[in-house]
Parts: sequence; C-alpha cells; structure tokens
Amino acid sequence: MPAVQDTIDRVRKIDVDQYKYGFQTEIAVDKAPKGLSEDIIRFISAKKDEPSWMLEWRLEAYRRWLTLEEPTWARVNYPKIDFQDIYYYAAPKSTPGPTSLSDVDPEILKVYEKLGIPLKEQEILAGVQKTDASELEEVSDNVYKSGRVAVDAVFDSVSVVTTFKKELAQAGVIFCSISEAIREHPELVKKYLGSVVPTSDNFYATLNSAVFTDGSFVFVPKGVRCPMELSTYFRMNEKNTGQFERTLIIAEEGAYVSYLEGCTAPQRDENQLHAAVVELVALDDAEIKYSTVQNWYPGDAEGKGGIYNFVTKRGDCRGHRSKISWTQVETGSAITWKYPSCILRGDDSSGEFYSIAVSNGYQQVDSGTKMIHLGKNTSSRIISKGIAAGFSQNTYRGQVSAHRKATNARNFTNCDSLLIGDQCGAHTVPYMEAKNSTAQFEHEATTSKISEDQKFYVMQRGIPEEEAIALIVNGFVKDVIQQLPMEFAVEAQKLIGISLEGSVG
Amino acid sequence: MNMHTQPQRTPAETALIDAFGERLSLLPGDGAVMLKRDDAIEAVKHGLPTRRIESWHYTDLRRLLSAVPDFDPAAAAQAIAPIVEGSTVLILLNGVSSAKAPVVDGVSVQRLSEKLTDGSIAPGLDPYGSDDAIGALNTAFVADGYFVDIADGIELEKPIELQNLQAGGQTHVRLPVRVGAGAKAVIVERQAGEGAALTSSVSQLVLGEGAEVTWLIVQEQPDTATHLAQFKAHIGKDAKLTLFVMNAGGRLVRQEVMVKTTGEGADFKLRGINLLAGDTHTDVTMVLDHAVPHTTSTEVIRNVVTGKARGVFQGRINVHQYAQKTNAKMACNTLLLSDDGEFSTKPELEIFADDVVCGHGATVTEIDHDHLFYLMARGVDEKSARGLLVKAFVAEVIEELDDEAIVEALEARLDEWFVTHG
Repeated sequence: MPAVQDTIDRVRKIDVDQYKYGFQTEIAVDKAPKGLSEDIIRFISAKKDEPSWMLEWRLEAYRRWLTLEEPTWARVNYPKIDFQDIYYYAAPKSTPGPTSLSDVDPEILKVYEKLGIPLKEQEILAGVQKTDASELEEVSDNVYKSGRVAVDAVFDSVSVVTTFKKELAQAGVIFCSISEAIREHPELVKKYLGSVVPTSDNFYATLNSAVFTDGSFVFVPKGVRCPMELSTYFRMNEKNTGQFERTLIIAEEGAYVSYLEGCTAPQRDENQLHAAVVELVALDDAEIKYSTVQNWYPGDAEGKGGIYNFVTKRGDCRGHRSKISWTQVETGSAITWKYPSCILRGDDSSGEFYSIAVSNGYQQVDSGTKMIHLGKNTSSRIISKGIAAGFSQNTYRGQVSAHRKATNARNFTNCDSLLIGDQCGAHTVPYMEAKNSTAQFEHEATTSKISEDQKFYVMQRGIPEEEAIALIVNGFVKDVIQQLPMEFAVEAQKLIGISLEGSVG
Repeated sequence: MNMHTQPQRTPAETALIDAFGERLSLLPGDGAVMLKRDDAIEAVKHGLPTRRIESWHYTDLRRLLSAVPDFDPAAAAQAIAPIVEGSTVLILLNGVSSAKAPVVDGVSVQRLSEKLTDGSIAPGLDPYGSDDAIGALNTAFVADGYFVDIADGIELEKPIELQNLQAGGQTHVRLPVRVGAGAKAVIVERQAGEGAALTSSVSQLVLGEGAEVTWLIVQEQPDTATHLAQFKAHIGKDAKLTLFVMNAGGRLVRQEVMVKTTGEGADFKLRGINLLAGDTHTDVTMVLDHAVPHTTSTEVIRNVVTGKARGVFQGRINVHQYAQKTNAKMACNTLLLSDDGEFSTKPELEIFADDVVCGHGATVTEIDHDHLFYLMARGVDEKSARGLLVKAFVAEVIEELDDEAIVEALEARLDEWFVTHG
C-alpha cells in the first residue's frame, strides 16, 4: 500500500499539533450583528431573499428552541456556549449569488486552491473551452485526480459557487445551494425540508432550523443515476461565527447519488460552533451514498480552541428496497457530537454506517448511529472503528431498534476501539431494542491496544516502530476506508496518519 | 420552561413517603442509622427515577411502580425447602429474621436488626449515587436481615441458603456477608413468596484475599410482586467470585449487580438466565469496576422472552486508568419467542487504560431454523423441538457451574419454570 508510506512521510514532516488547513484569509465580509433574536432570523431570511413561508418556518423553530435545553447525555465536556456571543451570519462581500467563477472573490478562490478543492478545474472539465496545457497539468496534480466531482463550496454562511451545474441539469439533477433551491424550487423544498429531521427534533437541529444560512440541495429525479460524484466543501473562515448549514438530498424512485462532504476551518484560540443538519430521502429503489471527511480544526496540543461540532444527520429510507449508506472519517473538531442515522421505513430497505473516528490531543468524540427498523425485511450494518490517543475521549454511541411490525429485521454491528497511550479513554455505548421475534441482531465490540505480537511481527521484518504502528492502524480501519470513494480514501488514510502524529512511539 | 419544577408525586411516591412517616418509630437504628434513613427518604422525595435517568432508561420506575402495598403485619410467609439438600438455611419471613440461627463452625451469624440498633452497620448504608433508587429505598426502610461472617480459611461443605420469603405487604432486607481470606463457600439467595409484595433486598459481599465464593440468586417471585434487588461485591486480591442470577418470576423486577475488583488477581464471573413470561418487566443491570491492574471477568447472560414480557440487560464494564492488563468479556444472548415480547440491551464499555483486552457481544434472535429442522427431521414434533432448544440455550449456562449438586438444583428450578410456562 503506497499510501501507508505516504502517511509516514507526511507524519514525519509535521509537528504534533500542526493543522495544515489552519490558515486564515482576510476577506471583506458582510455580517449580521452578534447574537440571536427574531430580528436576526428576519435579517438572515431577508438576506437570502426567502419567501415568507420560510421565514415563518424559521421563526417557529426559534420559538421552539427557546423552550429547549442543551442535551447533557453525551460524554463530552465543554464550557457553556453563549449563544448570544456568536455571529449567525457572515458572508463574503460581493456575492449576491455569483453566476460564474469570474464573479467570485479571487481571495476565496485562493482559499479553495490552497485546500486543494478544484473549483477552477471543474469549470474546465465542465466544458469551458480552455486547452492551455499548463492548466491541464495543474488539474492532474489535484487531489481529485480520478474523476469529475461537482462541488458546492460553502464559505462561512453562504454558498459561493457550485460547479458542473449545467451538465447535471442535462441529466435532470438539481445541485445547488439550499438558498437557491428555496427560491427556485420551493415546491420540492417545502415538501421535503424538515420531513426527516423535524424542527422540533433536538436542541441543535432546532437551532439550525431557525438560523441555517446555507448548505447544499440535491434532487435526483426518477430513474436517474447521477453522472458524477457531488461534493460540498465547507469552510469556516470568519472569527466568532457559527456555521449552520443545511443539506437536503432527495433521490426519487430508482435514482442513485454519491455525495461527499469535506470541511476545514482556520486555527484559532476561541472555540467555534458548527451545528449542521443533513436530511436524506430515498424513495423506492433509490440509493444514496453519503461520505464525510470531517477535518475541522481540532484545537492545539493543550486543547485550546477548536470547533464544536454538533451535527444531526439522518436518512429516511422512505421507499421500498431503498438504501442509504453513511461513511464518515472523523479526525477534526474539539468536540464531535454526531449520529448519522437511518430510518428504515420501506420494506426491504437497508442502511449502512461505516465510521472511523480518530481522536488525539484533548479531542472529545461522541459519535455513532441509529438504525430504526420499521419496515419488513430491513437490514442494517454498522462498522465503527475508534482510535483514541493522547488525552482524548472517544465514545461510540449507537442504537438499533426493531419495531413491532419490522419482521425479519436484521442488524450486524461491529465496533472496535484502539487505544494508544494510557491517558485516553475509549467507550462503547450501544443500545439494542427488539420488539419483534423475527428480528436478528448481532453486536460485537472490542477494545484493545495494538498488540505487542502484531508490532513485533511487523518490526522484525525491519520496519521501524512508527511505520509499524501506522501499518497496523491502517489495517485496523481498512473495512471502512474501502467504503469511501477512491478520491477520499487516499486522503482519509493520510489524514488518519497525521491525526495520530505525536501519539505513537 | 417548566422543566425544573417538581412534577406532581405519583401515588406510589406518596405512599412510600407516607409509609416512612408511619414506620419511622418502628425502625431499628441508632442516631447514625436514623440520619442515613432521613437522607435516603429525601432521595425518594425527589422522585423515583424515570427513563431520563440514564441508568433507568429502560425501566421507568416512576411509571412502572403504579402502586405500593401497605405494610402488612399479619402476613405469614411459609418456609420452603432449600434447593440443595442439607444446606444451612437462614430464613427471613416477611422481612423478619429468626432468633434461632443454625450454628456452623467458623461462621458467625447475627440478626441485622441488632446491627442496625447498635449502629455498627451504618457505614454500609449509603446509596452509591443519586440514581441509586433501590439503595435509597432500602436504606430508608430496612428493618432486618442477616450479617454473616465466614472466618479466614474456612471451607464450607454445604451451601448457606438465605431465604427471603414474602406473603404480601412490604419487606426491606439487607444481607451483608464477609468471607475471610482463603475461605470457600457457596451461598444461595432465594427470593420468593406468594403475595403481591414490594420487596427491596440488598446483598453486600466482601471477599478477602484468595477467598472463593459461588453466590446464586434464585428469584421466583409470583407475577404480582415487585422485586427491587441489589447485589454489591468487593473482590479482594486473588479472590474469585462466581455470581449466578436466575430470574424466573416477579411482575416488576430490577436486579442490580455492582461489583468491584479491589485486589490484583481478582476474578469475577457472572452467569445469568432470565426466564420471562406473562405481562412482566425484568431488568438486570450490572456495573463492573475493574479498579486495579491484572483482574479478569467474564459475563454471560441468556434471556428467554415469551408472552408480553419485557426484558432489559444493561451491563457496563468500567476499566479505571490504572487497571492495566484487565481482561473483560461480556455476552448477552436473547431468544425472543413472542411478537408481543421485547428485549432491550445496552452493553457498555468505559475504558481508561490502554493495555487491556475488553469485548462484548450481544445478540437478539429467534430459534435457529436449522436447529429446529435438524430435530424435526428426526421425528421430534415442533413444540418439543422448540422446548428442547430453548432449554438447551439456558441450561448451557447452568452447566458451566461445575458443582453437581448446584447444577442439579438449578436445572430442577428450570424444569419447574418450563412446566408452568412451557
């Protein structure tokens, strides 16, 4: 595996807490006043030029939110968040919905270039005729070598650009920012928004419903196999802002879509809040594959700074024989609170959850999934690999339940934890609830450190200890890496190596 | 926003608080004990735990404990034969110990009422935390029990059977047992009776260095009774504890098992079978603390769910930061035989040490069709084949116990359950 060697090389070059995406960019921004109130929500809604039903929806969520309390059941500790000390809206100036790349602030384009996100390249491939050889070479050097990926780039509170729109439209696929969808496709948004994660769902989802500023919208019509990978890249840049994005993906009968999500933020001493909601709807025979590489700034070696990541992700297998698959690689954020779930409503539907959660330094991860079996002959599979190092706490928390009518529900769960160092903790909290005698649930979990035997075996073949550990860790997470689209798999592998730097040896 | 206001008391909560007021003058205890009782009833006044309390997630005691029977001084429970012939029997009838305790060499037995009166038991009465509803309820009301002390080096040939028998009303007993260094014993805890009682029972076991104990909890309350029980143990250096729990009765049952390894080389085994039938609710909750290095544990729980029964198993293994070289394994297997039954399980691992091997497995399923086919292809009718398979599923756990007399005795209890609930 050449990627392993690559991981080690990278790890060698980098100091312990160096976060390679930690740069900041000075960009003129348009901000709402600090704090949260009905006025702020009206402000956001007006900025987005939203119809009145949307504003009402937000306000209702806000009023609901005021009655809710922050949940405390997760194994994460953080000082109380002052929700009035956050900017809820920050947008780069000069972006009243750019129509082409040339309208986008070049500073922002530079940011994405630095991050390796190929906004420009996509334009080239999309058919804007440019045959300059040097530019094509630049393209091939990019992270996303293998294929075409349509990107929706979200910068703080707004989507700055979405690539490949034209080609996607030819196939009937709608891929745009959610703000645009609210304006252009209100009937679809009205029908599906909040139908998987209702505004009253939980504290953070309710907050998101009130103040969400942007995110992606994907609609794949009946029988269409989305011709390319779709991707959203989230970047938090502005200080003291919270990012609240909302993603809605709908796959109609027989449709297929694969969607990738990536995220980074600058390195700062203050904590920043990120509370997103993702809703997936799969109708009969549809399939949605959702992959995330989460690499928000995790804080420094002393645990200062970092992103608080409170995310609600849920997929609804509404149709028969539908399938939703979540794959996540979680390496960033000071705090992760995230449980991508599947509601297996349609008969013969299936849900999958593959996760790698790596925590180092003072990171706290409380993540897992829910598989709710409602329809007949539904199946689900959970593979979770947690790696804890440094002073971090890594918790898997998951629920599998079969309701009365869910005959022949089938679940397999495997969650393994690996501990590196004696100051970290790994925890497993699975909930299994069976209310149907034909349900078949299997759950297994193990926790251990890298065994001396494994290490010895590798090292006696002349491989130094650090490389040996990297090899073993990569082997440990292989089951999940295999589920990622190729472009992400390589990146994820590198990321894991970097995240663990300083913890081995 | 009225989430912090005190919700209205349920009839059961009111009944418990009222009963405390009425019983107070009758409860034995010196000043220290009475103070602990006062603290404990305060906890009850704050309300019984609901599903919002994580450790009670699947057993919403506030909702499930719909009524509390009054104390019944006239209740007359009947003694029963011990499960192993020739056992030394210590009997509690309606929560009252007997003045005539049998004499065994090396074993000292005291009535708990005396230890409450002189206050010597006071330090052990504290509940372990704010969610310890059973501990609080018991501390508030405990009136009797037995204190058993097995001297160092004593190896008992016959089991000691502690019988807690009820005939309605309320009983609250406590069974502290100390087993000295190098001592060996088999202790049977019987929980049974005939009435619609509310019982709380707390067993506290301390194992000295190198002691070996097999403790069997055989719970066969009638399906009208509410049984809230706790088993707490500290396992010393190189000591071995095998705990066997059999739940085969009760309307609302919560059996908590709180075990801590306190000396290196300690070993804990938990084997449990839960036979659930009717419209009942049974919860087994275990918290196991590996607090020192080099300790081992294995837990195997088998559940059979029929009728409208609801079963719960929560098992949490905590491995403390200094408890390196811990080896802990837990398995919970459930046969869900009816569409009206349900089973919820939460096997947790909380691990703060890195050089450990810990694992858990949990399954919920129905009878394997291949197994059934195998038997039926040999001419066994379906009902008998199912019976055989279900019995084999739980008997496997009993057979592990090695001690022939005990295995036979438990299989006899198992047979009896299958005859009644076939």
